[in-house]
Amino acid sequence: MDQTVQAPGPVTGPGAPGSEAAADPGPPARLTIPKVLRGLRRAAGIVPFGVYMALFLIAPMVAVTIGAFQDNSGGFTLSNVNAATHGVYLKGFWQSIILSVLTSVIPGILGLIIAWAIFTAKRGRLLRQVAITAAGVFANFGGVPLAFLFIATLGSSGLVSQWLTSLGFDPYTHGFTLYSLSGVVVVYLYFQIPLMVLVILPALEGLRPAWREAAENLGARTWDYWRYVGGPVLLPSFLGCVLLLFGSALSAYATTEALTNGTIPLTSIQIGSFLNGNVIAGQENIGKALGLGMVVIIAVAMVIYVAMQRRAAKWLR
Amino acid sequence: MPTNTTGNAATAADTIGQAERGGGTSVLLRDLTRAFGATRALDGLSIEMAPGELVALLGPSGCGKTTALRIVAGFETADTGSVLVDGKDISSVPAARRDMGMVFQSYSLFPNMSALDNVGFGLRMRKIGAGERRKRAGDLLDMVGLAPQASQYPHQLSGGQQQRVALARALAIEPRVLLLDEPLSALDAKVRLQLREQIRTLQQRLGTTTLFVTHDQEEALSMADRVGVMSNGRLEQIAAPDALYTDPATAFVAEFVGVMNRIPGELQAGDQVTALGSTIPVRGHRPGQSAVDVLVRPEGLRLEVVENGNGIVTTRTFLGSVTRVGVQLSGDVAVQVDRPSAEAAALAPGASVAVSLPAQPVLVAARRVS
Amino acid sequence: MAALAERASEGIAPPRRRMTGPLGVSIWRWVVLVVTAVYFLLPLWAALRFAGIGAFGAVVGEAGFTSSLALSVRLAVITTLLTIALILPTAVYVHLRLPKLRRLFEGITILPIVIPPVVLIVGVLAIAPGVLKGTSLLLALVYVVLAMPFAYRAIDAGLRALDLKTIVEASNSLGAGWRSTLWRVILPNLRTALLSATVLTVALVLGEFTIASLDLYQTFPVWIYVNSQTSGQVSVAASLLALFVTWVFLLAITVLGSWQSRKTGGGEVTLFTVARTETRGD
Repeated sequence: MDQTVQAPGPVTGPGAPGSEAAADPGPPARLTIPKVLRGLRRAAGIVPFGVYMALFLIAPMVAVTIGAFQDNSGGFTLSNVNAATHGVYLKGFWQSIILSVLTSVIPGILGLIIAWAIFTAKRGRLLRQVAITAAGVFANFGGVPLAFLFIATLGSSGLVSQWLTSLGFDPYTHGFTLYSLSGVVVVYLYFQIPLMVLVILPALEGLRPAWREAAENLGARTWDYWRYVGGPVLLPSFLGCVLLLFGSALSAYATTEALTNGTIPLTSIQIGSFLNGNVIAGQENIGKALGLGMVVIIAVAMVIYVAMQRRAAKWLR
Repeated sequence: MPTNTTGNAATAADTIGQAERGGGTSVLLRDLTRAFGATRALDGLSIEMAPGELVALLGPSGCGKTTALRIVAGFETADTGSVLVDGKDISSVPAARRDMGMVFQSYSLFPNMSALDNVGFGLRMRKIGAGERRKRAGDLLDMVGLAPQASQYPHQLSGGQQQRVALARALAIEPRVLLLDEPLSALDAKVRLQLREQIRTLQQRLGTTTLFVTHDQEEALSMADRVGVMSNGRLEQIAAPDALYTDPATAFVAEFVGVMNRIPGELQAGDQVTALGSTIPVRGHRPGQSAVDVLVRPEGLRLEVVENGNGIVTTRTFLGSVTRVGVQLSGDVAVQVDRPSAEAAALAPGASVAVSLPAQPVLVAARRVS
Repeated sequence: MAALAERASEGIAPPRRRMTGPLGVSIWRWVVLVVTAVYFLLPLWAALRFAGIGAFGAVVGEAGFTSSLALSVRLAVITTLLTIALILPTAVYVHLRLPKLRRLFEGITILPIVIPPVVLIVGVLAIAPGVLKGTSLLLALVYVVLAMPFAYRAIDAGLRALDLKTIVEASNSLGAGWRSTLWRVILPNLRTALLSATVLTVALVLGEFTIASLDLYQTFPVWIYVNSQTSGQVSVAASLLALFVTWVFLLAITVLGSWQSRKTGGGEVTLFTVARTETRGD
């Protein structure tokens, strides 16, 4: 029965962490062999995880990146990237970004309001559990089933459309159609709002009740509290979550495909069509270039997200 | 550290205190009750606070003291009863308008503001201009000895420093009443002692009526003008610290404040009780049964070294000028007796002693079956 | 630590005297929740009306229903087991031995969320060995990557609520080895976090469409899509069924988890954190 909780290996003696702190500073630390070995041994525990991620996340991404710059015979070329940033593909990027911005900011705000409503419910334990489970389900609910749901609701002969018509206001004669960008936005809310609720709730839990009470005690009304304390503290997390929604919207694929059948060019759908084989032979790697483009966009967003979270961590401890 | 509070602080405090000088605020808690479901957190609590007084609410967890404080602050509503400030019923006044400063247990500073901005927050709510705000907040931080930390953020401050900023913040609005909810509980012992002093000094200088909640009896006894001991939502006794110690009204108070011995005895007719071989008068409440425990402090017992006495020395605990001697009496009763340390040195464990009660009136309580 | 004590004493925000309606509940909250409920339930209702009750019966009878559902469930189980087997030891290890890397790890676990599944499957299909490409196992392996962020966050939240270092040292000092400690001490205390992770992973797998369809596997969502070409009503009914079943399943797990954790004094199970129950101060 081994005596210490350590990764398999000889028990370290006086070199155990903690005792080092007691020794005097001494000469500046050099990367000696034992130190490197010890560092490696300490990293040993995350090797399985690292290997898995390398195989199933990093490697595919590398493959995509490399493929983006390859022509059909494997040589280096910029033609894929070139094609991906012009014409219909450029339009696709542009539409994707616009759609993603709309469906990250709007659900961001709405999701925050809803999450707050759930979070502050007094006797809300059941409400919270139901709401969070529902959010978990709806956040993953997309694609064709969702499209169908909305066609049945807001389609030209959908339930709500018919109700509105019977009330004298036919949305379709006023220019609205489910199969346009605005319609897609309405549909995206169905899974973006739940996602927002899920990710903003932990941040809400970081808002200490004592802050609210202290503010009230000093004379602040609700608006004052949000303006001076709640808002600023929540802002980094909120923006971070919005960026997360942005990434999620950008990746969305099946829903718009099912709704619009390709009338709205979106990068994700364009990539999909490359995999489905609906492309001119010899241009497969353009799909990879498109993928690379998406990753670049999201990488930028992600960097901003991590920076925001770090700022939030300072206050939420 | 406290030395920083002289000089500037004195002038600042005087300037602020002058507003109060015209007459402090009286607070009356009248018959407060509050139940949470089946539990009665408060059961008819009434307390009258004189202007400028520091009243401590002392009691174990769950006794209702924090609930009482929060009702006064406006964060909870009482089921029945009312709170009157200077004679006016404020029960329907929202918390934001009650003009009371509150210091919370911990981590109540706004994390996104510097210490200075935190202190100035109440002033900002009162629409005081930025320049004036900065000056007053600066004076207050000076008063609590944290002027150099004015631009630091809460996460850069230690627990003790945070609570001092919280105190300055509460005082910045020149409140009529100061409310403190166990402000020292989350701090180290040494910091706690320093802050105790500082809070008391400030409070006295400003003359602010203060309600202070704590479970630490030492804190309550050393800081307060009067201490209210609470148990199960009721006020057991409210009195000056020394009165609480020497004249506890109930067995609960007697045992909660300081150390108390329990010695089995028998009630006799004519308000007398027999214990340890002597019969002495009873003070205060007589329980309904004749089997009682006599309550007496360690310094209230007499101890002599004799052969074949009624007890055997079991332990000796050195407490400084006094040593607490543990004695096992016949009948499976253990008591603690305080003797001057010089004397107690001669008492070895195992020595035979005689413990007796002096001829003074004692408190009795119903015998506790353990 | 003071931070822990603070967390233990936090409760829900205290009741406030705001504008209240007849039930004593804040009006604006009612409005928000009602509008939200309408937005989310109306399409379900519309779909129900469109499909008709009869379609539900037809769903079960359709070709491929059972097999695709079985595939989805099988994938959910495999993915969950793999995910937990991978994430749990890693998370524990990071918490114990590499606390400085925790921030970095949180950043890494964000990666899969923001990599479009479409792009991921393109890459995977490009490099996967032929033997793996033919099996649905590949799908499960990719799903693990998708589920990883959520599972990690759930388990990380659970670990943060424990004072992991202390209980491991305590277990240590009493003579338990690495394996015993993990099995008898850490695992039981993570029951609710593991439950959260399971719930999130299952929801993800049961709803995932993009990768499955592009990998040419007929999981349940894919089956619904394929079938929609033939009968709209049946596929709508199937969608509703999938939604309903998933929801009930998740709710049951969550409630069960909360009930169990309340027995041991833990908090309610939420999908991202284990919130402490309110402690009524005195």
